[in-house]
Amino acid sequence: MTVRTERLPYGVGRLTGGWYVLIGVLLAFVVLGLYAYSRQLAVGEAVTGMRDIGTMGGATWGLYVAFVVYFVGVSFAGITVAALIRLMNLEFLKPIARMAEVLTVIALILGAFSILADVGRPLRAILNLFRYARPQSPFFGTFTLVISGYLFASLVYLYLDGRRDAALLARIPGKLQGFYRAWAAGYRDTPAERERHERASFWLAIAILPLLVTAHSTLGFVFGIQVGRPGWFSALQAPGFVLLAGVSGVGLLIVIAAILRKVLNVPDQLSPQVFRWLANFLMVLTVAYLYFVIVELLTTTYAAHYHEVEVSRALLVGEYAWLYWASLAFLVVPFLVLFAQFITQRYNIPLIVLSGMLVNLAAIGKRYLIVVPSQTHGTLLPYGTGAYAPTWVEYSIVLGLFALGALLFVLFVKLFPIMEVPETLVSEGAAQQVIEGG
Amino acid sequence: MARYAMVIDLERCTGCRACVEACKVENNTPTANLWMYVFRFEEGEYPNTHVWFMPRPCMHCDNAPCVKVCPVGARYKRLDGLTATDWERCIGCRYCEVACPYGVNYFNWKDPAENYYLDWNDEDLAAVTGGTTPPYRNPDLDQPYGSEQRRVAGGGRAKGVIEKCTFCVHRVEQGLLPACVANCPLFALHFGDLDDPNSTVSRLLRRKPSFRLLEEQGTQPRVYYIGGKPPTTETRQIEEVKARV
Repeated sequence: MTVRTERLPYGVGRLTGGWYVLIGVLLAFVVLGLYAYSRQLAVGEAVTGMRDIGTMGGATWGLYVAFVVYFVGVSFAGITVAALIRLMNLEFLKPIARMAEVLTVIALILGAFSILADVGRPLRAILNLFRYARPQSPFFGTFTLVISGYLFASLVYLYLDGRRDAALLARIPGKLQGFYRAWAAGYRDTPAERERHERASFWLAIAILPLLVTAHSTLGFVFGIQVGRPGWFSALQAPGFVLLAGVSGVGLLIVIAAILRKVLNVPDQLSPQVFRWLANFLMVLTVAYLYFVIVELLTTTYAAHYHEVEVSRALLVGEYAWLYWASLAFLVVPFLVLFAQFITQRYNIPLIVLSGMLVNLAAIGKRYLIVVPSQTHGTLLPYGTGAYAPTWVEYSIVLGLFALGALLFVLFVKLFPIMEVPETLVSEGAAQQVIEGG
Repeated sequence: MARYAMVIDLERCTGCRACVEACKVENNTPTANLWMYVFRFEEGEYPNTHVWFMPRPCMHCDNAPCVKVCPVGARYKRLDGLTATDWERCIGCRYCEVACPYGVNYFNWKDPAENYYLDWNDEDLAAVTGGTTPPYRNPDLDQPYGSEQRRVAGGGRAKGVIEKCTFCVHRVEQGLLPACVANCPLFALHFGDLDDPNSTVSRLLRRKPSFRLLEEQGTQPRVYYIGGKPPTTETRQIEEVKARV
């Protein structure tokens, strides 16, 4: 009896030279991040550019917190898009559902790691949050709703959504068969099972959408209800966070989808229609966020009190002006590009991808501008202006986190089909195998 | 239960910063951590300028923003009105620091042992000190305090935790005055119990008009200023202590 190894779809389980190089490069960056973190653990956070607000004239939250917010923001895309596909029956978007879910899970893990990079005593943080957590702290929502609840819901959704494919792949002999069998966990894709899964994922999708709004809002409240920091105290902070999360998340999803389209060579599944829908979604989110930016700008310059105006001045014409205007341009230009495509109904995938990249740069810039200037330029007592510049340790750790995220994504792509497996592909293979085996 | 408060007489303060020094010696705080700080202010245009001084301890707010945001309850209000920091519970997220409008929190960016003005374990110094305990290692600082018996006194505890002015809880519990108050050569600083109508602070606040810093923030500070006015947006800091780790 000859056992023929079937080729798994989408290059799963096959690592060629290029992949090894990619994984090696990513690992190198992860190691760089780990080395930087080891320096921080050994010496203390004196190796970062952060210092105390007040007499030390620094910012006590810096790049790490900006990236906590950015990573959690990126997680928006995945599960929203996946839930929208499920709830609104957007069949043609099915191919991006799983990559969106994986993006969410990975982004949330990176967000959690960024928090650990920021806190002074990471081990104690994990223990004490279980022992002494206080719901009155805005951080409570970050830890429970975002990092725990949201991550858990996303993992369950990813699991349920992948079960059918796991069951199909488990029929194909190979090294990964055991893994697929474990994932499928007895699922055999009978009509009754499929019906039950449909129902479960429908209700989970319904539950995830409000969780998404509340989770991203709690992160906005971390800043938005702090009266002591000019520039933060604003009711727009929470909804603004939700929107910018959507902008960065959908933008990154577009970039990832385009890369996978090229690498896996699947232009038919990831059709231009998919990109058209994502581009329109991104356009709507971007223009909504721009509206928020303008409303906020008018409020904080026209009628705000002295310290509020000081922070605005630092943003508009002062020390942070280059970053502020660059971020704004990276939102306006993509919007105009996407809008022009929408009007002419002629969509160009490279331009859409470029827009996705630009809005992500803008999102990182905006996160930084929310976190830092209110500390360096927003002291209510006359301490004088502070300064903050990240050091190589902070840059390396952030770079390491990005590399870790990319690495996890690559490994997932090689472990499990990143897109839904077409029925025909597997059933033919399985049928063939039955014949040969028999 | 007492209701402690501090009254600072701006008319008497000469900006000598003896309180800053006393605090550092008493509480063993690392370099650049100024739990007590004295602003030297200037107002007006030459030649019509006015220079004045304003000590800035922790305000020990009753509605403290730092207590509200602490995710683990390391920063908490004691029954006697002191806002305390349990360094054994602090996770070092520094949320209290961004929430505080007064800028009184100090994070231990380095291991405090490596961040003192004088390295007590230095070889040359050992010849003089003979390996004795440093004088700033006051055993009182290591005791648990209050009905909740938490270790909240003193500074320079551990890397990666927040510390701030404790109102010298270890002295107050023994009936002593905070170090800054006890060492002010001009009696500009007063400390006492607002529930006791005969205490110095009660009498001063009855007699003189007072203000509290950034009262409009709703923080309800327990530090009152008399004999002056709050800094305005026209107030400039001069002779700033440029201390950075």
